[in-house]
Amino acid sequence: MTSLVVAWASVTATFLALHALPGRIQDILAGDVEYPGLREAIAAEWGLDQSLPVQYFAFLSRILRGDFGTSYVLRQPVIEVVGSQLLPTIELALTAGVLAIMIAGLVALLTAGRGRFSRELASFVELVFASTPVFWLGILLLMAFSFNLRWFPVSGAEGWESLVLPAITLALPTAGLLTQVLREAMEKTLDQPFVTTVRSRGVGEFVIRWRHVLRHALLPAVTLGGWLIGGLLGGAVITEKVFGRPGLGTVTLGAVLTHDVPVVLTVVLLAAFIHVAASTLLDILYVLIDPRLRAQ
Amino acid sequence: MKKNNLLMSGVAIALLATNAAGAEDKPVSGGALRWGVTTEPACFDPHYSSQQAAFFVSRNYIDSLIAKKADGTFAPWLATEWSISADGKEYTYRLREDVVFHDGEKFDAAAVKANYDFVKKPENAVTAVSLLQAYDHAEVVSSFVVKLVLSTLDSSFLESTSNVKLGLISPKSLAKGDLCGGGRALAGTGPFVFESYTRGQSAVFARNAAYNWAPGNAAHGGPAYLDRVTFRFLPEYAVRTGALTSGQVDLIEGVQPTDAPLFAEQPGFKLLTGPSGASTSFTFNINYTRPPADDVRVRRALRDGFDLEPIVKQVYLGTVPRAWSIIGPANPAYNKALVGSWGNDVAGANKLLDEAGWTSRDSEGFRTKDGKRLSIEVGYPQPYVRDNRDILIQGIQAALRKNVGLDLNLRLITAGEYAKNNANGTWAIYPNTDNPSDPARELWDMLGSKGFLYSNIPNPDQEITGQIDESLRTTDPVRKRQLTDAIQKRGVDQAFIVPLFAPSWFLAAKSNVNGLGFEAGLDSPSSAYDFWIAKK
Repeated sequence: MTSLVVAWASVTATFLALHALPGRIQDILAGDVEYPGLREAIAAEWGLDQSLPVQYFAFLSRILRGDFGTSYVLRQPVIEVVGSQLLPTIELALTAGVLAIMIAGLVALLTAGRGRFSRELASFVELVFASTPVFWLGILLLMAFSFNLRWFPVSGAEGWESLVLPAITLALPTAGLLTQVLREAMEKTLDQPFVTTVRSRGVGEFVIRWRHVLRHALLPAVTLGGWLIGGLLGGAVITEKVFGRPGLGTVTLGAVLTHDVPVVLTVVLLAAFIHVAASTLLDILYVLIDPRLRAQ
Repeated sequence: MKKNNLLMSGVAIALLATNAAGAEDKPVSGGALRWGVTTEPACFDPHYSSQQAAFFVSRNYIDSLIAKKADGTFAPWLATEWSISADGKEYTYRLREDVVFHDGEKFDAAAVKANYDFVKKPENAVTAVSLLQAYDHAEVVSSFVVKLVLSTLDSSFLESTSNVKLGLISPKSLAKGDLCGGGRALAGTGPFVFESYTRGQSAVFARNAAYNWAPGNAAHGGPAYLDRVTFRFLPEYAVRTGALTSGQVDLIEGVQPTDAPLFAEQPGFKLLTGPSGASTSFTFNINYTRPPADDVRVRRALRDGFDLEPIVKQVYLGTVPRAWSIIGPANPAYNKALVGSWGNDVAGANKLLDEAGWTSRDSEGFRTKDGKRLSIEVGYPQPYVRDNRDILIQGIQAALRKNVGLDLNLRLITAGEYAKNNANGTWAIYPNTDNPSDPARELWDMLGSKGFLYSNIPNPDQEITGQIDESLRTTDPVRKRQLTDAIQKRGVDQAFIVPLFAPSWFLAAKSNVNGLGFEAGLDSPSSAYDFWIAKK
C-alpha cells in the first residue's frame, strides 16, 4: 500500500516537474526543423494538444493497464528501451555495491583501533577516493589497465572482463565513505565494556572484531544503505558514459534533457519500486543484525 | 605532418587521402572495421533524424536518388538520369532496374513515390518534411520512371533529392513504422545491411553482397570491401583516443585538437581532416530586433571589438581556420570577397559605442546607458556544446570586456529553454552550425523571413529576406550565385551574424585503414563503402 502511494506520488511530482520546465515538448521535438504544421502534427501525434489533466489521467490509466507508452524521441516502446538497459545497470550497480561492501568491511576490520599512523593513512586514502569524481577515476583506470596494460576492454557489456573497470570505478568512492562510517562505529564499539569481557575470555583479536564488533558497527552502515543505492545508480550514469556501456544512465539523461515524458516517468516508477524494495530489505536486515528489534 | 600543415585546405587533404589509397596497394576485400564515434544516434531512420552525427551512420544502409559531388554537381545513384521541366516544377528521374531492398522488395518508381508521400504526410510528423515544402505529389510514369511535381519553384530541390534525409526505405518497412530502433526492420538499399543494435554500446552492419549500384561519386563499384562495420559509441574524447591507440578500435571521429598531432605524427596511425565548413561556419546569430542589438552600431562593435584570429588559434591549436562568412570556405558558394573585410577594429568599435550613447561605465568597467549595462546574452543550448566551442566564446567574452566594455554573457541553457526562447523570439544570440544541403536553404534557415532561426521575429530585414526568397526560387545558377554572395555580404555587413570558425571533421585511424573520405552533401565522414583494410 505504502509502495503504491510512493510510486503514485513520485510519478505525479515528476509529471508536474517535467511540464513546469521551460519549453513546449513539441518545440523541443521539432528541434532545428521549421515547417508550417509540423509542431501541430507532432502535438497531435503524442496527444500534447490535450489539456494537462487529460494527459495526466491518460498516462495513469495506461500505466494501470501495463502500457508504458512510446518514447517521443526514440520512437520506440518505452518498455523495450528501459527493459533492454535495465540488466546492464543492475549488473554494474550490484557488482559495485558488493565490491564496495567487501572493501569497506575488510579495510575497517584491519584498521579500526590500530596505530594512529595506519589509521590516518587509510582515512586519507578513503577521503581521496570518496571525493574523486567517478568520471576522473574511470578515465585513470582506463588509461592504466585498458590502454596501457590492455588487461580489460574499454567498452561494452560482453563478459565479466568488461565489468571489472566500471565496477571498481563505481565501488571506490562508495567504499571510501562506507569505510569511514564503519570504522568509526567499530572504534566506538571496541571501547564498550562487553569487548573487555570477551577479551578476558582469551578470544583472539580478529575473532572479536569479526564476530562481535562488526555486528554492532553494521547498524549505522546499513542506515547508509538507502544513500548507497542512490549513489550507485547516480554514479552509474557517469560510469556508463565514460566506458561506453549500455545502461539506463545515458537513456535517462537524454530523456530528461529532451522532456521525453514517457521514458522519464517509467524510470521514476522503476526507481520508486527499487526504493521501496530496498527499504523493505534494509528493515529485514536490521532485524537480522540486531535481534533486540525482533521483540518490537 | 607538422601542426601548421593542418591548416591546409581540408578538401585538398581529403583528395590527397583518396589518391594515397590508390597509390599504396590495390584495395582488398574482407575484414571488420570498428569505428569509435562520439554520438549515439537517437534515431536510425533518416527521415526522422535531425542529428548530423546520425547521418554518416545512416549512409551505410540508405541510398538516395542522386549523389552530390565535392564540386557541388550531381552524379547518378539509384537514378541513372534526371531532367527538370522548362517551368522548373517537374523533376523526372529514370531509375536503375536492378536495385533490391534489403528485405527482398524490388526498388521502383512506386517505392520512390511511397517514400516521398510518407515524408510529406502531416500525420507522420516526419522532420525531413522541411526539404519537401515545395513538393506537391509524385507520378509513376512507368515502372522505372518517376516524376516529382512541385507546387512552387525550389532551387534547392534537386539537392534535396540527394540528401540522406530523403533516402529510400523499403515501402514494406515504411508501412511497419517505428524504424528508429534500426535493425533488419529498417530496410534500405545501401552497401551494408543493418545487423544489430545494442543501445548504449554499438550498432553492427554487414556487407550487402548483392550491392551493385554504387553512387557516381564512389571510388569503386560492386559490393563494399569490408565484411562488417561496427560503430561503438564512446562519448569521451580521452576514451576514444585511448581505444584507438590501444588497438581496440580501428578508426575514430571527433579527434580533440590537442590529440590531432599525436595521430598525424605517430607511425601506425593517420589523421584526416574533412572539408572546412562545407556547409556552415560556427556563427553568432544575433537577434537584430531586440535591444540593445537592434542598433547596428552595437552589433558592429560586437563584430569588430576583438581579434578573432589568435583566439581561434589558441583554442584549436591551428587546426581550423577562422571564418569570414556564414558559409564555409570549402563550400563552392563561399563568398571569398568577405575575407579580410571585417573584424579586429577595436578603436572603431569603441567609437561606434560612444556614438550609440553607451558612454558611461559601471563599477566593473562595462559600458552603460541610462543606468543599464551594455549586456548581450549568448544562450547556448547545452546539448549542442562540443569541440570546445564554449571555451572559444569565453575567449571572445574576455576580449570584448577588455577592449570595448561590452558584456557578452555566455549562458548554457537547456534544450527546453532554447525551444521556448525561439518560439517567443526572446533569444539574443544563438551560436550554431547548420547542415542543410543547399546554400540558399542554409541562408533561409538562418536569416530568412520565416526561417529567421525558426523563430517568430517581427519585422525581419526586408532586403536580406527578399534576396533569400529569390535565391530559393531562381533556377539560373549565375543569378543564384549573385544572390548568395549578396546575402553573405549583407549578413556580415549589417552584423546580423558574426562568423567565428569553420569546423572540420577529424578522423584518426590505424594506418592500414584505407579509402577514408568525406561526403559532400553531409559535410561529414562518408559511409564505409570505399573503406578497406590492408592485410599486413
